[in-house]
Amino acid sequence: MQRRSREVDNMIPGVSDPVAAVEAARLCKIYDGKNVIDNLSLTIPVGGVFGLLGPNGAGKTTLMKIMAGLVRPTVGTLTIFGEDAVARKSDLKCKVGLAPQDNNMERELSVEETLTVYGRMFGVPQLKRRVEETIEEFSLGDMRRKVVRTLSGGMMRRALIARTLMPKPELLLLDEPTVGLDPDVRHEIWEIIRNLSSAGKTIVLTTHYMDEAEKLCEKIAILKAGRLAFLDTPEGIRNRFGGVDSNGEALETLFIQLAKEGRT
Amino acid sequence: MGWVAIYRREMLILTKKIGNMGYVFSTAISPFIYLFAFGLGLGDRVKVEGGYLPFLVSGIIGITVMMNSFQQTSSSVSVGKLYFHTFQSVVLSPVGNAAVVLGIVMAGVVRGLFFGALIFVMAWLFFGAGVLGSTGIVGMILGALCFSAMGTVVGLLVKHPDDVSLVNNFFITPMTFFGGSFFPLQNLPAGVGAVAGLFPIGSLNLLIRSSGWNGDSLAAAGILAGLTGAFFYWSVWLYSRYSE
Repeated sequence: MQRRSREVDNMIPGVSDPVAAVEAARLCKIYDGKNVIDNLSLTIPVGGVFGLLGPNGAGKTTLMKIMAGLVRPTVGTLTIFGEDAVARKSDLKCKVGLAPQDNNMERELSVEETLTVYGRMFGVPQLKRRVEETIEEFSLGDMRRKVVRTLSGGMMRRALIARTLMPKPELLLLDEPTVGLDPDVRHEIWEIIRNLSSAGKTIVLTTHYMDEAEKLCEKIAILKAGRLAFLDTPEGIRNRFGGVDSNGEALETLFIQLAKEGRT
Repeated sequence: MGWVAIYRREMLILTKKIGNMGYVFSTAISPFIYLFAFGLGLGDRVKVEGGYLPFLVSGIIGITVMMNSFQQTSSSVSVGKLYFHTFQSVVLSPVGNAAVVLGIVMAGVVRGLFFGALIFVMAWLFFGAGVLGSTGIVGMILGALCFSAMGTVVGLLVKHPDDVSLVNNFFITPMTFFGGSFFPLQNLPAGVGAVAGLFPIGSLNLLIRSSGWNGDSLAAAGILAGLTGAFFYWSVWLYSRYSE
């Protein structure tokens, strides 16, 4: 019965057969004998912003990397848009984009070169035009010739998201996109995320900022020690844990409660 | 044609370095020190058919091709994988496994040949080195392919940036000094000479020094081509199993 309601939740207009963006079933990743992802089953619906929260070491980044194809799961299955993420890894690479927590762009290339090189690797058609579009879309005009290592944190983050979007992925994985940024830059990134969500992209976001999760996400999952500890909508969380505005108060209460449970 | 995208990526990064003359100078300085130190210091004392200087020049060209091809790919992959995480962008791309390896290897070949040619021109200008024959040119290309593919294997295998220096110390340095670059292998004790004869740098040196195609040069070309194939296949296998 629960499965049925999840499927109904996942339906999007124009899609008669509900296919989840991501479906993890009994997923495990073991590093040096430690279960970083521990028997995790989770469904992420198509469209909207899905928040992935949890304390440090909860397995959020590992899960993002598994979804992006950078890490192989030890056990279990993961499907992305209905396709096996391991067996069909190559086919899925154009559909999934990862903007990692740390900058992984070449330090000595300019922003324009970074976009061109990435687009070329993905076989983006009309590459020059796409680069110009992306530069305009992300207001990168002033820094197009700037070398990546000289960019500020906010500019770097914007360029990283822009690069990830060059091949127009359907599923966008943003690993702590606003960590360490000034409030005004955080708001800029939020605006980008909202626009992408409105454009129909499925976005999975990890963050340590509770207000950010409540403001941006339609559904929030909290991981703890590699397991799914909690899954609900921001409204559901507010109803259960108090708070009226999307200021992250209810989510923070829940987060602290879950953390305390682990210590006792 | 995905390999071209990877090759162009590697080349763009490499040209940024080569554009910095300090980088070119520092890369070319070691072979030159060898050339001057051994050429001037030992020139008269090492008896080699055809004279020691032509022997040394060809050996230094071999070493330059080996070191630059190997270092280009091993450091590009290992540093990009372990330190800056820039290799992630390659792994995230839909370019096929063999195409990724080919693109990386070809960039290593270009660097090896660029610096090999640079040292040859310098040796020609300052020491009157003779023109390379077809065996020498084929040897340089095969040697660059072999060591570039070997560097890719090492880059993909290592779990820590320092591991590359272990490979340098245990494989590249012995090959530099015991691979027949500075003196003929016949000068070594029989056992050591036999082991040193197995180094691929020996085949590269033989081809650079060979005056024409014969049984020995064909065998040397076959060894380098075979090793290139083996390292290439190993790299593709390692890349296909890549996981952080």
